[in-house]
Amino acid sequence: MAEENAPMQQSHGPSSGGMRSSGPGGPGGPGGGRPGGPAKRGKRSFVRKKKVCRFCVDKADFIDYKKAEILAPFIQERGKILPRRMTGTCSRHQRWLTVAIKRAQNIALLPFAAEL
Amino acid sequence: MEERQYDLIFICRPDTPEADVDKVIATLESTATEKGAKIESVAKWGRKRMAYRVQKLHEGYFVYMVIKTTHGEVVKELERRLKVADPVIKYLTVRLDEELKRQEKLKRHRERRAARRPRKVAAAPATPVAPIAPPSEQSAPTA
Repeated sequence: MAEENAPMQQSHGPSSGGMRSSGPGGPGGPGGGRPGGPAKRGKRSFVRKKKVCRFCVDKADFIDYKKAEILAPFIQERGKILPRRMTGTCSRHQRWLTVAIKRAQNIALLPFAAEL
Repeated sequence: MEERQYDLIFICRPDTPEADVDKVIATLESTATEKGAKIESVAKWGRKRMAYRVQKLHEGYFVYMVIKTTHGEVVKELERRLKVADPVIKYLTVRLDEELKRQEKLKRHRERRAARRPRKVAAAPATPVAPIAPPSEQSAPTA
């Protein structure tokens, strides 16, 4: 707690000296280079979490189209297949996944995109 | 010709009595054996909710079977039977042997790699463990 308060007071110093609105942006930026400052603002630097292919984690050699509950997280509510950039699936598993989803759609285990 | 494996799923109307479902399965089995195919397994998934409406129905009675054959024409005949069968509202045949073969191959590949890997893994932790041990021995006498 005490460690957090100290930098806060330091950052208030220059900001009160200059304009209140520009203070945190300008002098506050380099001064508050600590991880605490930007994270609180949630604006500047946010660390993007690396998404990992779920099938690679499970070491899946085959994606079963019959298990709709496995495929369900990879489609939208309306039935659209989610892109790789959303789910983090690797290209190889995404290829298998789309085939599996399309098969499941054909036998009414998963909905089609245009449905209803 | 090499043997092929197919998945066959069909959906019956939810209100069909069990006997009629069995009848459909029996006709499929007889046609398959007639044509020299082998039905590996039959599984009744029972009444399930379908993801979308089929013939104004929301539910269906799912039946899943695995067929092995060397003649692809069997599938054609089975699908024709399913088409004319009254209680059947939907069916799907998927050829799976190639994918299963690929799965086998990948599995073997992984096992071979796993068999080779342990030597490296075993060697790595051995070194860090050794330096940690002496300090604990030193701290023990002092305490």
